[in-house]
Amino acid sequence: MISDHLIITGINILLAWSVYIALLTGSLSFAQGAFMAIGCYAAGYMTTHFDIPFWPATLAAAALTAAFAALVGFPALRLRGLYLILATLGITFCVRVLIENLDFLGGIGGFGGMLGADLGSVAVAVAGVGAVLALISFSPLQRIFDAVREDERVAASLGINITAVRLIGFSAGAAVAAIGGSLYGHYMSFVRPESFDVLLSIYVVLYVVLGGVNNMAGPALGAVVMTLLPEYFRVLADWRPTVFGLAVLVMLLFRPDGLLSFRLRTARADKADGLDGAMKDSQGVRRQVAGRPPLPSSGSVPRSEGGTPQ
Amino acid sequence: MLAGQILNGLVSGAMYALVAIGFTLVVGVLDKLNFTHPEVFMLGGFVGLVSLTYLPLEWAFFFAFFVGGLLGLFTEFVAFRRFHGPESRITAALSSLALGLVVTDLVHKFWGTEQVPLPPQSGWLHKTFSIAGVHFLNLQLMVLGVTLVLMVGLHLLIHHMKLGRQIRALAEAPTSAALLGVNVLRVKQAVFFISSALAAVAGLMLALRSDAAASEIGLTFGLKAMAIMAVGGMGDLRGAVLAGLLIGVIEALMFYFGLGRLGEMTVWLAMILILLLRPAGLFSNGLHSREQRV
Repeated sequence: MISDHLIITGINILLAWSVYIALLTGSLSFAQGAFMAIGCYAAGYMTTHFDIPFWPATLAAAALTAAFAALVGFPALRLRGLYLILATLGITFCVRVLIENLDFLGGIGGFGGMLGADLGSVAVAVAGVGAVLALISFSPLQRIFDAVREDERVAASLGINITAVRLIGFSAGAAVAAIGGSLYGHYMSFVRPESFDVLLSIYVVLYVVLGGVNNMAGPALGAVVMTLLPEYFRVLADWRPTVFGLAVLVMLLFRPDGLLSFRLRTARADKADGLDGAMKDSQGVRRQVAGRPPLPSSGSVPRSEGGTPQ
Repeated sequence: MLAGQILNGLVSGAMYALVAIGFTLVVGVLDKLNFTHPEVFMLGGFVGLVSLTYLPLEWAFFFAFFVGGLLGLFTEFVAFRRFHGPESRITAALSSLALGLVVTDLVHKFWGTEQVPLPPQSGWLHKTFSIAGVHFLNLQLMVLGVTLVLMVGLHLLIHHMKLGRQIRALAEAPTSAALLGVNVLRVKQAVFFISSALAAVAGLMLALRSDAAASEIGLTFGLKAMAIMAVGGMGDLRGAVLAGLLIGVIEALMFYFGLGRLGEMTVWLAMILILLLRPAGLFSNGLHSREQRV
């Protein structure tokens, strides 16, 4: 019983991290459900039809998903902000319909027979991905990611290949989602295309919003809270979407950086706000008179707005 | 038979167009995606359900329009008021998404997750007559007629009334509009009222067509309308209408030729292609989208 909860929690942590990795480079992806589905079906097909053991199949599926993500991401990442949200939503729908129409994957009826994931393998995966993320957060790579997310033009002027960095982030996120999907499939041992509904992608993004986006613990916390709490409080389980939605709303309204945001605003940022404070309303630092729009931003450097959902 | 399918497609297309217009109005004026919109659309069916149990059909349209509009005002207040400005586009999308989740869940709590059949209507709606071998259903004509009336009304409002002029001014140059004395908040509220009211009426008509109010159409039909909005060009009213009708007909034709399951994918594939190749939208040469795509 408890191990079931822990397995689902672990998979959700992986999914939240997969969104977080894509967000590190400034792409908000609503396609994690699709990547999870690809990972799940690819690994499942390998273990059931070719008798490949679980871990090699999972890693191969992750690589395959990353390649797919790079393929669709290369054109899609030219899009920013709202357009990227729409494009990734589109990917989610397309992948689901494709899987429903592929008969060798069971089509609409579902695909089963995968076995081999237990609490141990989920723990190994979470620990592995967590270790890599922790390593990255202390490495120069993190600063490259930060630069690309916060201001693409400055990053480009420093000689960073923005497209490559964003593509790496998007594909790495897809790979992690695929690992989560493979674990999910091999734990449930039967999946249907609607297990990877668009609602799943939405939920995963909201876990990350709830937990906070500027360190790796935030998404994990969001996933843990939203998975484990409903299991132990009946009321929460009954009202899960409402409570969850309200929590996200309250979070965005009052603590826009998320529950675990510890990177405080610097005095310099406040000073900059003083100069063009009217532009930066999203932090809630300076609220404007309602009904008056901010000053036009055309004169200043446009910031990559696909970055942290603030 | 083929003509009948095209008529069916036009009817779906009209409803797509009504929902897509709502999306595109909000994108055009506020430059934000309203993810609560699909759920307001869904709720239109349930408003119709309640109204039809006690009152005749005309009242259902009236209530759907006004309840939808009020929900639009509520959406603006909860999910958009705090997040204005170009940097909070994503935040506003996420907060409206969260509000949409809450709305859907409340509907599930009241009416359950299954479809709820509407109370039986007078036979008039389901009478058919045929012109030149094509069978028309009164219901289909009613959907097309209501859509036409609403669109003509919207056109008059946008192009021939003071409010419409203010809406266009705000869409084009928000700061100048504010400096020239446009009450930005009121205009934004008006935009949300109109867009949500249209969506709720569309939801009511979808419920009438399928004889049931369903809670999952927000994430299927409603999100598809968002893709249609992108196909027509973000912020482009005419594009939304044309794209809605076009996609509706294409879907009906794919269904007719036995590609029904793949039909679900057409919209999204079309949207991705349009976003990549012609981000200003299929019909427009609008500046709006070009500015967005750094």
